[in-house]
Amino acid sequence: MLVFSLAACNGNDSTSGDGGDEEVTLNFWAFGATNYEELAKEYEKEHPNVTIKVRSAESAEHHDALFTALSAGSGAPDIAALEVDQLDRFKEAQGRFENLYDLGAKDVQDQYLDWKWEAGANQEGDFLIGLPTDIGPKALYYRTDLFEEAGLPTEPAEVESLINSPEAFKEAGMKLKEETGKPFVDSIEMAYRAYLDASEKTYLNPDGELLLGEEGNDVKKAYDYAVELDEAGIVGKLEMWTPEWANGVNKGEFAAELGAGWLKGWMEGNAPDAVGKWRVATLPTEFAANWGGSYISIPSETDHPQEAYDFVEWLVSPDNQLQSFQSKGLFPSATSVYDMEEFKTNEDEFFGGQVTSTVFAEAAQDIDGAVFKGVKYFPVHQEVLNALHNVQEGGDPEKEWRAAIKRAEELIDR
Amino acid sequence: MSGQERGVKKRYRSEKKKDMISGYLYVAPFFIIFGVIGLYPAIFSVYLAFQKWNGLSPMSFVGLDNFRIVLEDPLFWKSVYNTIIMGLMGTAPQIVVGIVLAFLLNLTFLRFKNFFRITIFMPYITSMVAVALIFSVLFSNHESSLANYMLGVFGFDPVNWSTSEWGTKIAISIMVFWRWVGYNTIIYLAGIQSISNDLYEAATIDGANKFQQLLYITMPLLKPFIILTVFFSTVGALQLFSEPTIFLGAGAFTRDEALTVVMYLYRDAFKLQSFGTASATAIILLVIILFFATINTLITSGNGRKKKGVR
Repeated sequence: MLVFSLAACNGNDSTSGDGGDEEVTLNFWAFGATNYEELAKEYEKEHPNVTIKVRSAESAEHHDALFTALSAGSGAPDIAALEVDQLDRFKEAQGRFENLYDLGAKDVQDQYLDWKWEAGANQEGDFLIGLPTDIGPKALYYRTDLFEEAGLPTEPAEVESLINSPEAFKEAGMKLKEETGKPFVDSIEMAYRAYLDASEKTYLNPDGELLLGEEGNDVKKAYDYAVELDEAGIVGKLEMWTPEWANGVNKGEFAAELGAGWLKGWMEGNAPDAVGKWRVATLPTEFAANWGGSYISIPSETDHPQEAYDFVEWLVSPDNQLQSFQSKGLFPSATSVYDMEEFKTNEDEFFGGQVTSTVFAEAAQDIDGAVFKGVKYFPVHQEVLNALHNVQEGGDPEKEWRAAIKRAEELIDR
Repeated sequence: MSGQERGVKKRYRSEKKKDMISGYLYVAPFFIIFGVIGLYPAIFSVYLAFQKWNGLSPMSFVGLDNFRIVLEDPLFWKSVYNTIIMGLMGTAPQIVVGIVLAFLLNLTFLRFKNFFRITIFMPYITSMVAVALIFSVLFSNHESSLANYMLGVFGFDPVNWSTSEWGTKIAISIMVFWRWVGYNTIIYLAGIQSISNDLYEAATIDGANKFQQLLYITMPLLKPFIILTVFFSTVGALQLFSEPTIFLGAGAFTRDEALTVVMYLYRDAFKLQSFGTASATAIILLVIILFFATINTLITSGNGRKKKGVR
């Protein structure tokens, strides 16, 4: 294929040489740190009749702009990336997107993790909004210097066998706090996400009804566990992405982070003093979960659905996912990548030479079933977080929980 | 003959018409732009207030439901309370300080007048975003932030400027005050300069001191300007949005200590995808603004009437 197209455009770069393909320009909106621009250039070389304009923005801005364009009915791109937590908001407007099953997505389905694929389809399973790009399997990031100081093991294998249940996680945290005086987990949000991200049923059901108030709700379990860790005194107040938190990662102000695969890329770029101090271990199975990741969709405004699809299919192919992983740390969702030599032997200098990719790959395969989030997932999530922050400031857990449910109910009715 | 006359008449009329057309053409750009980006969205928003719409699915008519939802929401009333408190703290002192500053800037013996005038106007032309970002650093929750350090010097405990009930309000009010006081000062200064100097000279001969001059000459004669600034400040204060949003950063729409009415509306539309209730909120806000602007204008214009001594 490559050889053919190279031969085809050899010597005549002005006119298209392969059989009168029409000139096509595709607008592609992406977000965050990706290597899609480089990949698009590569694709253009192979398909001289296709021009791809990649525009990258920050996540919230990207999704809002896309939402506005779809709502206005004009100005949407030919290809758009969608973050998994934002997905349901767009799935509601299924009619504004191409069904990728109609464009040939069935043929590549078996290349990807089942749970990842399912989340990109609708409830009935007959409409696919996006092809899977990266995922965010979670693992335990921990500081070897603090673990050592606390008399805990520092080798990933030993840490895994020591911290093999939620109870053991708490005990290790208490020991560390006692010996070093530092919090084990950075923030109450992380403590809460431990169980939350692993829950299959979270805030809402597919009919948009709130599940929070129900007996035996998984969210309550996650909430109670966070409160329990906080009462044990091992939860810090360093909120993710704040300058204080970044400083904490860098200087070792806390010992452990239940982080996803993409956090590694952030650390390598932003925590220069922490080189060699962090390691990654597999989490207890109760906490095995995915946090984040994306899909690539095709809004139906496009005039070239098939050309757009062909590019997207190529973009998320196993080989290109490996490239995205190597250049930006986007963790692959194509399972065949996990067996590739370059993937398995990818030693991370930042993690003291540990091969972290296999830890995350194992975590990715431990996840079972797609999590349903719902359109109003995010605002409801914020309300529960508010409750937890109030608990940290001395509020009564049960009272705050009930207040959060009440606030969430008001959101749902709008 | 008559034909010629008619022709003349015609030509005369067409001259008039031409004038008319050119007049309309001159004012057209404003009205076209206003129609497209001002009037049409406003009318559409009124229509939306009676619909349930998430921005993508079809709309459905819900009557007055949106208004009920908003008016029954305790968070809405909290946002009204926040807005009024911050409006009072941020704008009321401006009027007093603005007049005093303008008076000082106009004193004959003051040197480097222009330098002071420009300096005082500077905050207003500074980028809103830059101001809010700098303030969020000055008023960070950290013990070492400038604001908390100053409190520490006087022996007070550090304040959580972005999460406490009064800390947020005070920090944002200071920011609003700092940014707008120069604007009002310049308006008052223009007003003061329109006051005839004879009055002050006569007052000086009669033995009135500077403070008395301010109280009995400047203030009453500034009344129309005060009414104007009070009106603008009221409308501006009730529409407070950018300052708190940028100051609070990530927590802007997740906490309620400094949530203003416009932020509440924005959160409805763009965080909760509920454009109907957001539009209803906008209409309720319009009513609130009309109410307060009327009351304030009445108070300020009524105040001068009692002092018939001057004239």
